[in-house]
Amino acid sequence: MTTKTLTRPQADVTEKKIQKLRELYADAPELGRVALENLIDSMKGGIISEQGTSSAGRVGARRGKVSELTIVFPVAKGGAKRLRAVLDAGINVDAPDRVGSVHDMRYVFLDNDTRILFATTYDGEWDPYVDDFATHIADELDVVFCNCEGWPGVRSPAVKDYIAKYQLTANSWYVARPDLTVRDVRRLEKIGAAAEEFLDKIQ
Amino acid sequence: MLSITESVGETLSTRSLALETSDIQATVLRPRPKPYCGEYVVLRIGDAEQGREMLRRILPHVAPADEWWVPSLPGWLGIAFTFEGLKALGVPQTSLDSFPIEFRQGMAARAAILHDLGANAPANWEYPFGTPDVHVALSIYAQNNQNLQQVLDLARKSHHDLGQISVVYRMQFGELPEGRNPFGFKDGLHNPHVEGSGPAESGKEESIKPGEFVMGYPDERGETADAPIPAELRNNGTFVAIRKFHMDVAAFRRYLRAQASSREEEELIAAKMVGRWRSGAPLVLAPDRDDPALGTDGNRNNDFSYADDMKGLKCPFSAHIRRVNPRDALKNDIVAVNLHHFLRRGTNYGPPLPEGVLEDDGVERGGVFLLIGVYLHRQFEFIQSQWVTDGNFIGHGTEQDPLIGNNDGEGVFTIPRAPVRRRLQGLPRFVSVRGGEYCFMPGLRALRWIAALNS
Repeated sequence: MTTKTLTRPQADVTEKKIQKLRELYADAPELGRVALENLIDSMKGGIISEQGTSSAGRVGARRGKVSELTIVFPVAKGGAKRLRAVLDAGINVDAPDRVGSVHDMRYVFLDNDTRILFATTYDGEWDPYVDDFATHIADELDVVFCNCEGWPGVRSPAVKDYIAKYQLTANSWYVARPDLTVRDVRRLEKIGAAAEEFLDKIQ
Repeated sequence: MLSITESVGETLSTRSLALETSDIQATVLRPRPKPYCGEYVVLRIGDAEQGREMLRRILPHVAPADEWWVPSLPGWLGIAFTFEGLKALGVPQTSLDSFPIEFRQGMAARAAILHDLGANAPANWEYPFGTPDVHVALSIYAQNNQNLQQVLDLARKSHHDLGQISVVYRMQFGELPEGRNPFGFKDGLHNPHVEGSGPAESGKEESIKPGEFVMGYPDERGETADAPIPAELRNNGTFVAIRKFHMDVAAFRRYLRAQASSREEEELIAAKMVGRWRSGAPLVLAPDRDDPALGTDGNRNNDFSYADDMKGLKCPFSAHIRRVNPRDALKNDIVAVNLHHFLRRGTNYGPPLPEGVLEDDGVERGGVFLLIGVYLHRQFEFIQSQWVTDGNFIGHGTEQDPLIGNNDGEGVFTIPRAPVRRRLQGLPRFVSVRGGEYCFMPGLRALRWIAALNS
């Protein structure tokens, strides 16, 4: 990592964060306190920063071209069984691929199947494309999310507010390549394969 | 003709609803006259009752869409209001609150979404654009200057003795020789066809549901807009995104000169940027050289699709017309292109830069566009943010529209070719935003509804 000179206010902020951490870790387990001190020693130069995170629409964080969407929906009565079955059957498994901007996606049941975590990393914003999704993949979305309490349907004008209501912004989130979209990656894969083929031929 | 009340029982049937053209403003549905001249006038209302008095006087002169070919006026008058303007007229709070968020905020506040950054930022716009002083926008089209002055006189009389109505902006516009835009391209060639508005131009494109462009009719999602309220204000109205552009014609010519080794190559690069040759002939139909007969033939110059150009070898993915109207080019993607159209009424201002001149003469020239549609967020804002100022949707990273993108000297433009694509570097900003506003353009009955409000 390159060392950069911090301006006075930045250095102050870093110093304050370190001080707060030490206070909070005063009653942490011994191994935690030691770990913190070891890390603070290697932090000279002030790495405790926002690291380029911005907001993705109303809720959610964004880094470069990539955004995160984390939602905890309440599961409707009887919805958990249906959800497990529909996710297991994989009947909407190619939808994210067709959308072309989804990096990953996961569903996790919480609290005895009464709530479900839906988390995804995607490019740009989803808000401008909601109407396109409603046109092209309404069934793929509704067949899953109808099992969430109060889901209005992706065609409903209320769907944006419904999602925002249950969306949480990630407290911490790491993206390896924030400037690469899924489409960029696909393009680079093709270019890489062509370059390898070219090198194979001329060697 | 079927009126709305007569046809309520039929809205669920499959037959399309006839458009109530006598209540829709001509500007929404009709192409401007050719040749044309005209003026945009912006008014500020300092007093609601005086504003409504102005409206009552001007109302009889606002052109409806059913009289466009035999106008009872020497020219067309169109009228639209910003959110601030509706407030200034005393439109009730419940109505104001029911307008979509983007309209309530106004175009300047949406700068980050629209990529109106750097030189295009609202801070650099001409007064009064982006300020709360823009209330009423009048657009007047006429076939000659004498007619224009007659309509301007009517407009003047609507407020000349009302001390609280002030003219904050005026600009004249007019046709350039041969119906070209300042860059030298044939102008105003394409608009989506609104179902029920009259005969379609021939071409491969399907008609678009009228509810995309006029409120009170089913749209492409099978819905009918339910805001703003009440229906008396909403029906037969629409939204207009006004954009005033400056066009740096000298920079465009210099760039072409620097990239090309012959005049023919300059013309090819220019056509690749636009997607059409200067005559209007589309690259898909005339990939190698201009075909002026095709360009001027209204039956053929829009009769094309991208089905046999899916590699962009004829018309680049990044070409202006392929970006703003992708037709069938994105058919393999999850994007519903029919949700992302607007009607475009373009006018030019300023004199042409004389042929062959490569240095800017400092004269203001460019175009003013009225981009019309019921859903600003998924029409104008979507096209501007996703298609004009980004390249991800075509796998081109952050590449922007070569002509109207917000390029800053570091723009790139990809031209697919076999075996190796060509990529132009260092694109400057050929088109700069001088200002813009979101306006509501009500139907004629709705204008009377506003005019009859009490404070």
